[in-house]
Amino acid sequence: MTTISKHPPTAPPKMPQRSSHGHRKVKLRDTKIALLFILPAMIGLVAFSLVPTIRGIYLSFTEYSILGEPTWVGVDNYTAIFKDELFWNAMGVTLQYVALNIVFQTVIALGLALLMHRVAKSTFIRGALLLPFLVANVIVALLWFWMLDYQIGIVNEIISWMGLPRIAFFGSEQWAIPTIAFVNVWRHMGYTALLIFAGLQAIPHHVYEVASLDGASPSRTFWSITMPLLRPVLALVLVVTVIGSFQVFDTVAVTTGGGPVNATRVIQMYIYQKAFGESDFGYASALSVILFVILALVAFLQMKFLKGNESDLD
Amino acid sequence: MTTQTFKVRKALNWRRIGAWIAIVVALVITIFPFLWMLRTALSSNHSLASNSGSLLPADFSWGAFKRVFGMQTTEEAIADGGSGAAIDFWLYLRNSILFSTVTTAAQVFFSALAAYAFARLRWPGREKVFSVFLATMMIPGIFTALPNFLMIKNLGLLNTFAGMTLPFLFMSAFAIFFLRQFFLSMSREVEEAAMLDGAKHLRIFFQIVLPNAAAPIATLALLTFIGQWNEYFWPLLVGNDESIRVLTVGLSVFKSQSPQGAPDWSGLMAATIVAAVPILILFLAFGKKVVNSIGFSGIK
Amino acid sequence: MKRTLGAVAAAAAIAISLAACSGGSSTTAGEAKGDINYWLWDANQLPAYQQCASDFTKINPDIKVKITQRGYGDYWTTLTNGFVAGNAPDVFANHLSKYPEFADKKQLLALDDAVKKDGIKLDVYNEGLADLWVGQDGKRYGLPKDWDTVAMFYNKAMTDAAGITPEQMSNLDWNPKDGGSYEKAIAHLTLDKNGKRGDEAGFDKNNVATYGLGLESSGTGQGQTQWSFLTGTTGWTHTDKNPWGTKFNYDDPRFQDTIKWWAGLADKGYMPKLETTVGASVSDAFGAGKAAVNTQGSWMIGQYTSYKGIETGIAPTPKGPDGKRASMFNGLADSVWAGTKNPAASVKWVEYLASSACQDVVASKAVVFPAIKTSSEKAAEAFKAKGTDVSAFTTQVTDGTTFLFPITENAAKVEGLMGPAMDAVVSGKKDASTLSETNEKVNALFK
Repeated sequence: MTTISKHPPTAPPKMPQRSSHGHRKVKLRDTKIALLFILPAMIGLVAFSLVPTIRGIYLSFTEYSILGEPTWVGVDNYTAIFKDELFWNAMGVTLQYVALNIVFQTVIALGLALLMHRVAKSTFIRGALLLPFLVANVIVALLWFWMLDYQIGIVNEIISWMGLPRIAFFGSEQWAIPTIAFVNVWRHMGYTALLIFAGLQAIPHHVYEVASLDGASPSRTFWSITMPLLRPVLALVLVVTVIGSFQVFDTVAVTTGGGPVNATRVIQMYIYQKAFGESDFGYASALSVILFVILALVAFLQMKFLKGNESDLD
Repeated sequence: MTTQTFKVRKALNWRRIGAWIAIVVALVITIFPFLWMLRTALSSNHSLASNSGSLLPADFSWGAFKRVFGMQTTEEAIADGGSGAAIDFWLYLRNSILFSTVTTAAQVFFSALAAYAFARLRWPGREKVFSVFLATMMIPGIFTALPNFLMIKNLGLLNTFAGMTLPFLFMSAFAIFFLRQFFLSMSREVEEAAMLDGAKHLRIFFQIVLPNAAAPIATLALLTFIGQWNEYFWPLLVGNDESIRVLTVGLSVFKSQSPQGAPDWSGLMAATIVAAVPILILFLAFGKKVVNSIGFSGIK
Repeated sequence: MKRTLGAVAAAAAIAISLAACSGGSSTTAGEAKGDINYWLWDANQLPAYQQCASDFTKINPDIKVKITQRGYGDYWTTLTNGFVAGNAPDVFANHLSKYPEFADKKQLLALDDAVKKDGIKLDVYNEGLADLWVGQDGKRYGLPKDWDTVAMFYNKAMTDAAGITPEQMSNLDWNPKDGGSYEKAIAHLTLDKNGKRGDEAGFDKNNVATYGLGLESSGTGQGQTQWSFLTGTTGWTHTDKNPWGTKFNYDDPRFQDTIKWWAGLADKGYMPKLETTVGASVSDAFGAGKAAVNTQGSWMIGQYTSYKGIETGIAPTPKGPDGKRASMFNGLADSVWAGTKNPAASVKWVEYLASSACQDVVASKAVVFPAIKTSSEKAAEAFKAKGTDVSAFTTQVTDGTTFLFPITENAAKVEGLMGPAMDAVVSGKKDASTLSETNEKVNALFK
């Protein structure tokens, strides 16, 4: 991370003195210029993230129905949440969803990225795989809702044509969450694959050449070379997709609305229901605060566990 | 030697076949829903239910597309099973283009500035501030939606273009994260040479770093544009006025009109296809460059 | 910078005007002129109201009405946003389940003074409709617009093939023990993949091709089109009094026995399982020939008669243990927003909407039944001219067998509790007796 050592060794002896003097000046100068570079982003951060978050945290200690005035209730919301079986249901359901979604999405995206990298060099195929990402989340959900309908959806028509019993994709308590996970995997697998693909392209070719010269089999190459070198990109992808996954909402809101019974009442759906459906914005804010803490914890653990900040290329 | 290469080729073929099967499956799963969208868009609403198993349009009709472009009268639309509400398609399209372009350009630019500060500049508290930016990705969207709405209302910017774009103009934590990773991995030699020549950071940024980062910035801009194009919740809250309404909000006119009613499926599918076309064009124009030439020289 | 100052001034102006109007005051002072915004959600009614608007402007050249139609899904969120943002529409179509909260939050303008001053007669409306819109504080918050009841839509081809005549369909009876001739008809209309009917030996309930009775949803706490026409014949009511009841009766055996019987139809194979109904719409399934009978509201007449290749018959709901029919009676109204800048013009528009001048126009389009007695008769004739006999819906009104839609506070919270509970019972996961436990939670909301 230092620059001094990279100075050309043929520099005149006066250099070290000047550079150390200049080094201090550079640091001070950096701070001022850094402020300039950071200013617009900081405005956005403070105005649209920090201030609302603080306001939201304040609201979590109140009872507020949007059309009235907030009334302070202290920690009542939080104690109610811990006793709320729908909250624990939401956490369980969300975790189930995240596990299914992330595992399938990452594995499939990894597979697709490898295929794009090694086998399918055509831009058409790469582009086609990205198509689902171009459609808005809400529309994707509606489309699959229509296609997976039990009575008149095309997928069930095909299933029953094959002689198998129809599946109530969105209506059955066992199938609802996996179905929603599938819809989101469908939408995001191309995008995630693109990110991983970028990481694959970053791995220098000579590493592979050495491996093949040594006679390594494709699977050995994959596990011992590709995966470790891909780790920083995978870490980035995993952190971002897990955070996004925990916040699943559009798909659920448009299809099951939390049902059947409570099988898909994920945490963000529950928050929305409380805030806009039941006008209980204080309670909803408290739920959001808890979700935020969980997400921060999960991201922190992920970065630590995956050591995403380091790269094996060094 | 010949036997060895023969063996290798055989093993390779098996793998290749498997790989191609996987690609075909992936393509089918990806593309079939779009074909279904097209099929539904060319059908008539009233015949959809009884022709659920047919792969061809049920009772072929251009009605849905006419509805999307606002070329049907209210009576015709209702007879077709759609809503009679007016859809000013070209206006919504213009609004979406404006909204997406302005927010993408500003967001990517400001994020690049910030990413540079995090990657190359040295200042106290740099890592801590970066973690704060990262942490914003974990704030549930709904949490900030209402306070932001109230703030925009207090500024008197509700139902204005400014109010709709403001939260998206300044930065995106993901963009900063993404670009910082890239900047960290860029080789420093050219920058250092320039610094030795006495160039200030601003110049280095604009004349060296940005041009070198063209590919990832283009990728990021494309992804951001797509995200902004499909933005729904905030424009619904803040941009309901006819004059600034974007396509995604305008599309809601095709959803169900009454409590037990069904959505205007053909209209909805037609509208989705039409709304996706601009993005498709953009993607076809720039995507090739992006998809084929993105090169991270190593992520640190 | 200029914009900020202007914005601050605008915000201040809005705040002041909100403060002045939010007392729910019924002032109609000021001239009736200007542009007013009107919102509704049913697209089918749009042409009728557009004509009302142009007729209205002919009579009141100083007032222009701009109509916006928003789908039901987005309607209420956008409306509430409008309240908060200060740019809600001046007049809007209102629903019985939502208006108590709006009135409570002082977002609705009281219309009593205007009604008195302008001499609006409330007896021209169908029985009970006008009273529904008087709040707990005794003030009136809406003028009746239309009404709806529930009936049975059936596939004529299927009933003919089953040997059931339209007369028989219109004279079914029901009881919670054995389902009466209602269940017999449903069973007979059910066909499995081998062509066996539901009441024949060898009927395979796991391989049904056509269900006798379609299923839309569990009906949550109200069951307007799902089961309330059955419970209404047992003497059971949703709440202790209506409107403004504070104690629900979901622990009553009459209610639980009805739900048990109804859920039992799915076990017998006459009705689809609840899990298979999540998705498109029950009417689309009807249109696809998957069910013979659907119990639905009169606002769906247009939809059910529009399916190509299906001839739809309409029969009144079955008579119950008390020897009479029953149907929930719902009535929409138009309300004025308390924060409107044009109270005089808005009130005039609402009065016009509630007058026979406009309601006759709505009647002639044959989409809904307007609230005024004479207008709803005209609507029935307009439906007849289109080839649809709607007497199944009107007979409940003329026979006086309707009961009011339950109006209480905390409607959304009650739904939040009853929704999953009813889903669990109807899907067979839990027994109907668990509803007593839910009833306790619901009643706890009112303590």
